Amino acid sequence: MGVFVFLPLVLPLTALPIARLAGQHLHPRSTTRLLTALAVVLGVCSTLCLGLLMVVGTAQLPGNPLPDGWSDPEVRAAVPAAEFAGTAAIAALAAVLTACGTELRRHYRVRSRTHQALDGLPSGTELAVLPDDSPYAYAVPGLPARPGRPARPGRIAVSRGMLHSLDSDERRALLAHERAHLAERHHRYQLAVRLAGCANPLLLPLRTAVAFSAERWADEEAARTVGDRRLTARAVGKAALVSRPTPGPLLAGFAAPEPGPVPRRVAALLGPAPTARSWPPALTPAGLAALVAAAGTAASALSSLNAAVALFLVLKAATPL
Amino acid sequence: MNGDPFGGHPDGRDRARRRGQGELEAQVLAALHHSPGPVTAAWVQDHLGGDLAYTTVMTILSRLHAKKAVTRERVGRSYVWTPAADEAGLAALRMRRVLDSESDRDAVLASFVSALSAQDEQLLRSLLERATGGPGASESSGA
Repeated sequence: MGVFVFLPLVLPLTALPIARLAGQHLHPRSTTRLLTALAVVLGVCSTLCLGLLMVVGTAQLPGNPLPDGWSDPEVRAAVPAAEFAGTAAIAALAAVLTACGTELRRHYRVRSRTHQALDGLPSGTELAVLPDDSPYAYAVPGLPARPGRPARPGRIAVSRGMLHSLDSDERRALLAHERAHLAERHHRYQLAVRLAGCANPLLLPLRTAVAFSAERWADEEAARTVGDRRLTARAVGKAALVSRPTPGPLLAGFAAPEPGPVPRRVAALLGPAPTARSWPPALTPAGLAALVAAAGTAASALSSLNAAVALFLVLKAATPL
Repeated sequence: MNGDPFGGHPDGRDRARRRGQGELEAQVLAALHHSPGPVTAAWVQDHLGGDLAYTTVMTILSRLHAKKAVTRERVGRSYVWTPAADEAGLAALRMRRVLDSESDRDAVLASFVSALSAQDEQLLRSLLERATGGPGASESSGA
């Protein structure tokens, strides 16, 4: 196997260029799905790789509960610097598990706290209008049923301040946008990609990429629902301008290389609608990006699978049954 | 008014702090919502279960007043208090608490828009101006 056993750990490096290309050339729906799938596969493979390294590198160490046979010299020979890699993998795996646990707990805490906050409002309506002058609007994903508590459907929490700052058409665009988040379950993509970032820090750039493409996806859905791209662009722009507690002239000295997400969303809405092709032609940059993504994902999955199967066979042979 | 206006329980304040300011605000506001009309701070103190110091209740009422969640009126030498909003106001207060306390809430709740930098703001304004054909134009000109 040689150094290839480490491949799943570094393959996520390909995530950033892929995210950029996909974001520029694909429909936001395809971008979100592609990048999330990429993040999940690469994250799982990377974690699997860590697990195998841990088994191989440490099974023979005194005090380790794993069967000694699982770490035959033959097996260890397959992994460069087996002992060091195995020990490092223990620490890395512990960090991955802790980070994932924290992320999951925070996700459900925010969700349930938000629902509790909205409980005082008339239930049964999807829209929850909060009498608050500061403008905000959030899509609040639903909560599954638990013993003693019925399931809660997703809701749209909008402050009065936000509603006041938009006219009635723009409000329709806002609601369509939030409704698209709920209907397409964008929070699942977000959670998946955040967990992948916990599994391998090289996947962190995919978080912002997926967050942005999910917003673009909801923008496109909203534009389709209200039938007016300019109107949707205006709603997004106006909402951003009224909710602008700009954090001062932060970084004003540096010329920011790129505009932030909101101007990019507005500019995209003012441009032509993206084509709804789910897979681009192979000879365009988008097609190449998709191919590279597919190849990288496949290589990562295959090399993890290869390592796992080989190791499994050796371990099976070495386990006295 | 019943109750000793200055009778603070020594352990009341500690417990109050432990319970968190936000929760106390919500409790006081909920009590005010069940009042027959404008009431004094002592009335609120009595209807909170009685383990809060009068001064704590006053502090919370003042803070709610600063947040425009309650209104007050001077009657004689003291104030009487009325909730400014209804159940929805309470919900808004709780929502604000979630939004303020969860720094990474945008990872869970999809916000309609994210914060703008100064440059973004300029860029956005010029984009919108171009789109609507001038700063004053607000009629839909799209397809």
